[in-house]
Amino acid sequence: MGKITGFLDYTRATHAERPVKERLGDYKEIARPLADEQASQQAARCMDCGIPFCHAMGCPVFNLIPEWNDLVYKGRWREAYERLEKTNNLPEITGRICPAPCEPACTLAINSGPVAIKDIELAIIEHAFSQGWVTARPPLAESGKKVAVIGSGPAGIAAAQQLRRRGHAVTVFEKEDKIGGILRYGIPDFKLEKWVLDRRLEQLIEEGVTFETSVSIGDDLSAHYLMRAFDAVLVTMGAGEARDLQVPGRGLEGIHFAMEYLAQSNKTVSGKIAKGKTITAKDKNVLVIGGGDTGSDCVGTANRQGAKKVLQFEIMPRPREWGDPRNPDWPYWPQLLRTSTSHEEGCERQWGILTRQFSGRDAQVERIHCVKVEWKPPADGKPPAMAEINGSEFTLDVDLVLLAMGFIHVAHNKLLDDMNVVFDERGNIKTNNYATSAAGVFAAGDADIGASLVVRAIYHGREAAKSIDAFLS
Amino acid sequence: MNKKDLYDPFFEHDSCGVGFVANINGQRTHKIVSDGITVLRNLVHRGAIGGDKKTGDGAGMLVQVPHDFFLRECAKTGTKLPEPGAYGVGMLFLPRDEKKRAGARSVVETVVKQESGRTLGWRDVPVDPGCLGEVAAASMPHICQVFVAFDGAAGDALERKLYVARKCMEREAAAAGLSIDEFYVPSLSCATVNYKGMFVAPQFESFYPDLLDATFTSAIALVHQRYSTNTFPSWALAQPFRLMAHNGEINTLRGNINKMNAREATLSSALFGADIKKLFPVIMPGGSDSAMFDNVFELLTLGGRSMEHSMMMMVPEAFGPRYHISEDKRAFYEYHAAIMEPWDGPAAISFTDGTRVGAALDRNGLRPARYVITRGGAIVLASEIGVLDIPASQVLEKGRLAPGRMILVDTAQNRVITDNETKASVSRRKPYRRWLEKNRIELKGLFGVPGPVRIERDTLLTNEKTFGYTLEDLTAIIAPMAENAQEPVGSMGNDEALAVLSERPQLLFNYFKQLFAQVTNPPIDPYREALVMSLMSFVGREGNMLDESEQHCRQLKLLHPILSNDDMDKLRHMSVGGYRSCVQPILFKPEESVLAAALVDIARDVEKKVDEGCSLVILSDRGVDEDHVPIPSLLAVSAVHHHLVRAGKRQLTGLAIETGEAREVMHFACLMGFGASAINPYLAFEIIADIRERAGFPADMTLESAIENYITAVKKGLLKIMSKMGVSTIRSYKGAQIFEAVGLGEELINRYFPGTPSRIGGIGLDVVAREAMERHRAAFAKGTAAPDTNGLEPGGKYAFRRSSEKHLLTPEAVALLQKAVRENSYGVFKRYSAHVNDVAANLCTLRGLFSLKQSQAVPLDSVEPVEAIVKRFVTSAMSFGSISKEAHETLAIAMNRLGAASNSGEGGEDEGRYTPLPNGDSMKSAIKQVASARFGVTSNYLVNSRELQIKMAQGAKPGEGGQLPGNKVDALIAKVRCSTPGVMLISPPPHHDIYSIEDLAQLIFDLKNANRDARVSVKLVAQAGVGTVAAGVAKGKADMVLISGHDGGTGASPISSIKHAGIPWEIGLAETQQVLVKNRLRGTIRVQCDGQMKTGRDVVIAALLGAEEFGFGTAALVTLGCVMMRKCHLNTCPVGVASQDPALRKRFTGKPEYVINFMRFIAQEVREYMALLGFRTIDEMVGRADMLEVNAAVSHYKTRGLDFSAVLARPERDAGQPLHCMSKQVHDFSNSLDPAIIEQAKGALDKKTPVSLAIPIRNRNRTAGAMLSSEISKRYGSKGLPHGTIRVKFIGEAGQSFGAFLAPGVTFELEGDANDYVGKGLSGGKIIIYPPKDASYRPHNNIITGNVNLFGAVSGEMYVHGMAGERFAVRNSGALAVVEGVGDHGCEYMTGGRVVVLGKTGVNFAAGMSGGIAYVLDENQLFDTRCNLEMVDLEPVVEEEDKKGLRTLVENHVRHTGSPYAQQILADWTEMLPRFVKVIPIDYKSALERIRKDQSRETEIVSLTEEVY
Repeated sequence: MGKITGFLDYTRATHAERPVKERLGDYKEIARPLADEQASQQAARCMDCGIPFCHAMGCPVFNLIPEWNDLVYKGRWREAYERLEKTNNLPEITGRICPAPCEPACTLAINSGPVAIKDIELAIIEHAFSQGWVTARPPLAESGKKVAVIGSGPAGIAAAQQLRRRGHAVTVFEKEDKIGGILRYGIPDFKLEKWVLDRRLEQLIEEGVTFETSVSIGDDLSAHYLMRAFDAVLVTMGAGEARDLQVPGRGLEGIHFAMEYLAQSNKTVSGKIAKGKTITAKDKNVLVIGGGDTGSDCVGTANRQGAKKVLQFEIMPRPREWGDPRNPDWPYWPQLLRTSTSHEEGCERQWGILTRQFSGRDAQVERIHCVKVEWKPPADGKPPAMAEINGSEFTLDVDLVLLAMGFIHVAHNKLLDDMNVVFDERGNIKTNNYATSAAGVFAAGDADIGASLVVRAIYHGREAAKSIDAFLS
Repeated sequence: MNKKDLYDPFFEHDSCGVGFVANINGQRTHKIVSDGITVLRNLVHRGAIGGDKKTGDGAGMLVQVPHDFFLRECAKTGTKLPEPGAYGVGMLFLPRDEKKRAGARSVVETVVKQESGRTLGWRDVPVDPGCLGEVAAASMPHICQVFVAFDGAAGDALERKLYVARKCMEREAAAAGLSIDEFYVPSLSCATVNYKGMFVAPQFESFYPDLLDATFTSAIALVHQRYSTNTFPSWALAQPFRLMAHNGEINTLRGNINKMNAREATLSSALFGADIKKLFPVIMPGGSDSAMFDNVFELLTLGGRSMEHSMMMMVPEAFGPRYHISEDKRAFYEYHAAIMEPWDGPAAISFTDGTRVGAALDRNGLRPARYVITRGGAIVLASEIGVLDIPASQVLEKGRLAPGRMILVDTAQNRVITDNETKASVSRRKPYRRWLEKNRIELKGLFGVPGPVRIERDTLLTNEKTFGYTLEDLTAIIAPMAENAQEPVGSMGNDEALAVLSERPQLLFNYFKQLFAQVTNPPIDPYREALVMSLMSFVGREGNMLDESEQHCRQLKLLHPILSNDDMDKLRHMSVGGYRSCVQPILFKPEESVLAAALVDIARDVEKKVDEGCSLVILSDRGVDEDHVPIPSLLAVSAVHHHLVRAGKRQLTGLAIETGEAREVMHFACLMGFGASAINPYLAFEIIADIRERAGFPADMTLESAIENYITAVKKGLLKIMSKMGVSTIRSYKGAQIFEAVGLGEELINRYFPGTPSRIGGIGLDVVAREAMERHRAAFAKGTAAPDTNGLEPGGKYAFRRSSEKHLLTPEAVALLQKAVRENSYGVFKRYSAHVNDVAANLCTLRGLFSLKQSQAVPLDSVEPVEAIVKRFVTSAMSFGSISKEAHETLAIAMNRLGAASNSGEGGEDEGRYTPLPNGDSMKSAIKQVASARFGVTSNYLVNSRELQIKMAQGAKPGEGGQLPGNKVDALIAKVRCSTPGVMLISPPPHHDIYSIEDLAQLIFDLKNANRDARVSVKLVAQAGVGTVAAGVAKGKADMVLISGHDGGTGASPISSIKHAGIPWEIGLAETQQVLVKNRLRGTIRVQCDGQMKTGRDVVIAALLGAEEFGFGTAALVTLGCVMMRKCHLNTCPVGVASQDPALRKRFTGKPEYVINFMRFIAQEVREYMALLGFRTIDEMVGRADMLEVNAAVSHYKTRGLDFSAVLARPERDAGQPLHCMSKQVHDFSNSLDPAIIEQAKGALDKKTPVSLAIPIRNRNRTAGAMLSSEISKRYGSKGLPHGTIRVKFIGEAGQSFGAFLAPGVTFELEGDANDYVGKGLSGGKIIIYPPKDASYRPHNNIITGNVNLFGAVSGEMYVHGMAGERFAVRNSGALAVVEGVGDHGCEYMTGGRVVVLGKTGVNFAAGMSGGIAYVLDENQLFDTRCNLEMVDLEPVVEEEDKKGLRTLVENHVRHTGSPYAQQILADWTEMLPRFVKVIPIDYKSALERIRKDQSRETEIVSLTEEVY
């Protein structure tokens, strides 16, 4: 159980970050991971709770956190890796980019700082890679069943690996030219360098997963063909439908969805020349609308591209500021003002701002017209109500607007039409234990539950694999 | 038997007063008979009276056949009797119905004729039923006597004839359909006749006018007054039996019965010849434990052994290496260990064959037996002194039976024979020592250092999975055992799903729950009193019990039952002098249907091997592979064991089990308990080797020591599990089945575990097979999948894991509950309770399976208000020490604000809390607990309470003690526990003043005296038979009985106890309600229930099952911030709830409001249910089990067999018998001397005017001084009165608890003798005892005061001119005492004070003594051999301070008692001083030094493993 008095003897310490000045000059990862000894010491703080809220309530993949903390503390890295690998196919990724809901749920978050779970996770998996322990675990034999996975984001990768390990022949179809989905095209390198992903994909390939890139199902291959040719189809195509801002002037040039912007940047960073017109923030007044992680990634990218100024607007009120590692809403996820590394790099943030319209010249956006809003506190279980503040209207000059207001649901495209998949009231694919309304077709990840965390996608990919495996046998 | 409800007569217990009077010279007088009656009268308070207020539990007297009386009486009806001794008298209980009676009489006459005897005549015994209670009268039999002769037979031969005849009669009567209540023979003997029945002593002589007749004479009168927990009165079960009367309890009865039954097939005897078969069954079914003991004792005795020899076989004294006893005697006991197992349990047994009379105590001496021998040649022995008035000048000797000792009176030889003489002559009858040396098998090296263990990498993981190992088994169980040599400790009870409700495959062990001693017998301290315990056994083929030869001990002697792999190798190939072993595989093919057949085959094969001469069968589950599933080891062992029992061949072989399954101590205990003789846990050993290879142990630990540690942990665990039932030896634990099953079906039980209680039915063999196969399948999953790198599942039993074992307290439940109480949101609370109650998701508890019946609802407004309901709520006992000061006080404030009650828990209370706070809040705990250690239990503590709760057991570890390590005892805890900071505090497993039910009644009486306004409650833990114990508690006049579930518990306990002892309260509560109602006792006692109560629904179900009050432990702590860390035992509670660390305590954020909100929410929710059910008050709801039904919607494959009809049964009850408490207990203070003293001491009490009184006293005047002290404490608090304000001189023989809780300012002087518990809880008063001035015996060689004096004394002084019994100054924390000799276990668990012993001590002095100092006059320089040196140092008295202090105490002694003996010591002081030994605890010495140096106490380090055994 770690060290009995570890939580009293040591204080919380997390990874360091490269200095802003240095990191703005490149797209390399910002984080400097903990050394093994540091990770061991941090793991010593774990109390091996009777109810490990981190594992049971915080972590969406139910990582066996206390078990590997103990092993890391004792220097038994190999076993720690084995326990970690039981629940998570991509710990090197969650260890880098997960918001780590486990940490605010850690019992130590009640009145001191939580265990640095995320950093320990990363330390374990990187230690394992460095020791060569992460090797292919192909199935003992072939089941003779074939499964198609559509979409190669975290849900698709996790599902593909799990299914392959059960002995099924798995083909992953990806419409882009490289595997990874959001991991490759959504998340900037300064948070997740792409070799990390490639390293994992090698393992999958060695285990026998087939990847078909640049194949758009529904266009390049018909859904019906797929359903015939495979014993089961899993849809893990993410929640592609971004939330739009339906205001006058939306059609002007220079207003883009964040994902479009980030994908292009990611491709550029990976050395690929983008087709078509390049969106760049260089020397521009950049406005990011939407205060979430994607917005934050836009901020970081824009700064690296050499933006003149970066602004970020959020319609919701400014959350509580909380300078303490404690969680005031333990064990629940607290709504707090979070300052990301990208924000540290330069960004002006404003809250409670509603966009009324864009205006510009020659079809190019030049100005945004906003009004400030206030939020009535929720009552009787109703959602909080928004009201505009009279006389608070203002305008601002902008050159590039990035819309990072989240995603509505899975893209309702031809593929899903062809498969006759039924959607739920929110527009996500309707499933029952991951089975869609179409026979033999399953769905998982954001396509199934709506946009969420990478770690949740991993979990659902794994669970869907279980469901498919049961279906096949 | 088709039981409709949960009551089972098997669980009845009885205890009592016992004794005899005899003329040593054999002179038969009527006086002996009338003295016997007087003795009984004076033991009345040790008996009990039933629900009809009049029916006694039974009394009786065994006397010599009064020939002259019978001659005269028989002449009246024309019956001519032959010479004395030439005929037998039968005392008979026959049916009152004349027709039936005629049948019964003809049975008698026919049998006599068949056996070639003659019926001489009949005599109806005159009786006067008028004096009887209603219940006794209704069941009274027709009582008559029959006179029979067997021509030519006299003496022993006639006695044997009569024995055979009686056994035939019993069998014939049963065959004729007569039950034990319709045909019972209290005695049929030419030497003795037995008068007994269902009454209390005063009714005795008026019921049997015979006894008043002057010609009714005897030289021996053996008497017994019974206190039973029984439900249905039984005349037959009154004592004495034919040869003996027994005060005690046989804990290992089931095993003793089974073994006896198995032996019958091989019994033969020249004395009985062909008649031997007529004696079967030797043990008559339907008898009590005492009756069955009598059956076997009778067989042994009539089979040719002397009474004392038989007694030494059945109740052997301890003969472990720590005892200095003769080699021959040790050999005698060891030899007989190969023939018969002890009938284990506390016992004071008196016995007689009509010529000789004697008494014996069991090895632990947990029953009192005092005797007086007079100059006139009489002897009286009884549970108490003072039962007969004997002038001091007439007394030749006063003594007591020490543990394991025997006294024998031979009226033919006209002498009293001492223990030593008796046993020496018995042990030398045969060359037992040489027989043993020659025959017992002790292979050299057999039990040396365990050899290397091979790790079979190919099979390790599959084996682990097949046997159901989880990572938790490795990290939480096996590794700690191997590392620390003790079983691991956990906290916060058990909220895991019952095995039968778990959807994951469970080991068969998990369906069993350990039974434990509670009230009717004491658990033993396996650590401090280890010397009485033994794991040694003989394994092999037993010989004919009625014979003795050297071949009888040709068996394998095992020092303990855990075999290493090396041992196993040797045993497999063993063949020594006809001793041969063989192996029997216990595997089956993976198909559900084949298991039953496989078991049949295995049993048959084993039987065959036994027939072929195999003396040791090794059942083995080695060889698991894809096609072979291991049969659950427990099933295999029990199936084979019972097959051999049924075949009468069990005693012909030893049964070892080689299994990969056993890992926890519970597993080992189960295997032993169901018949294994030895166990080899090969996979656990392999896992230890694997853990070591993975660097899971400290680097310097060798594999050998890891394995040795593990074995040691198992051994300790076995001792502990045995001891919690009060069993001392593994020999009698083997096969004793001291378990109950929860969730096993009737068929499975009857076939494989016969005799094991299993009250709610459950799974069958098919599910057992299925669960075994599921594990096997997981291990050998055929298929395509990639192998896991480390496939062990997390476990989730001890710590929560998602998608693992279910727990009642989920993370969501904790989070929601805390949110609800903090935000005072009933809405959030309802989300919490819905979550916890969610049956489908939370199939954890039995109540989860119940649903409430539809009913006529009433408006919510008409239901009694929240304010009234919360008054029925209490917070469960949690001691200050286990939880922090802040948490403890917050609970008290909250409950006081509600008008409800919090519980002090064990360990005193700071007096500062008795004064209300400025804002009106009170931190005083309304309920004060009286637990086994009596920390801080003073008169003032008792006065400051509304309820006094006697904790008999606690849910987390029933039957166990505990300890608070010295580093946790800070200044404040030490203060409230009346101890020294830094000194370890041990809570003994038993209350040393409660070894039996009559003792409990005595303590209840003591507490009633100490605070007449407080109610007294008794806390029990649910287990099979708890209802009958509760009935006993009600008869003992407790105001409330608390039934705790097995699953509660907030403090630290051994994990195996948390998980495997006790049962859900649903069953225990229902049983309690049923038995109390049936017994007409429910109306005078309230019932409380606790154990994982979480929601209003829980409360409602508890009420419907019979509770009217409800306790909350865990949930209350969660409201205060507890997050179920389950680390209370490490002192690292991160939220400051269960830590004493000041830094962590600062983290406590709980508020009284949170607790209040919770209680009010619960009450509100209860109201909502009540409205739906149509109840306006809780009282209406109590006991309405008819409103519950089993929720048909809930079902999975394991719950299908569950049958709750017995739980939900409503007891038959007579009209008007209430279902809840309607009136108060009536306490009888008529024999109390205190009211008169208080009256006469009014001036002293009110104005501190000194007063001196003189009062006669006798043994019926119990608990003198407690009430007086309560008056002082009420007025003056703990400071009391100035020294010597009230002086009372008593003359006579004081009753029990003389000077209990005596307050400062009171001096009690007693000229005479005292019984047990003198100075219990002494709170500052002074007690002086000396013999009558005209005594002619030497006081310092005679017993003047009984056992367990100064128990839990806090301060004050005591001077005893004479010897005291066992456990003098046990758990004394501050009193000063001088005594002239003590029995065994002197100064046990002492934590403070000074004790001077001016003479001999018994063994085990200073066991568990962590504080205080004793000075012992060690005349023969052997004291160190009698002292338990584990915790103390022995030093000469050299320091000036010591010398002076000692001399002052001796001088005080002389001044107070005038002891000439002590005067002599003073006179020779320079000579004597060097002979004194100073006994000082090591801890205490350093604590004193620390205090002296005034070192800071802030240097506490948390110990790695707090041993909470």
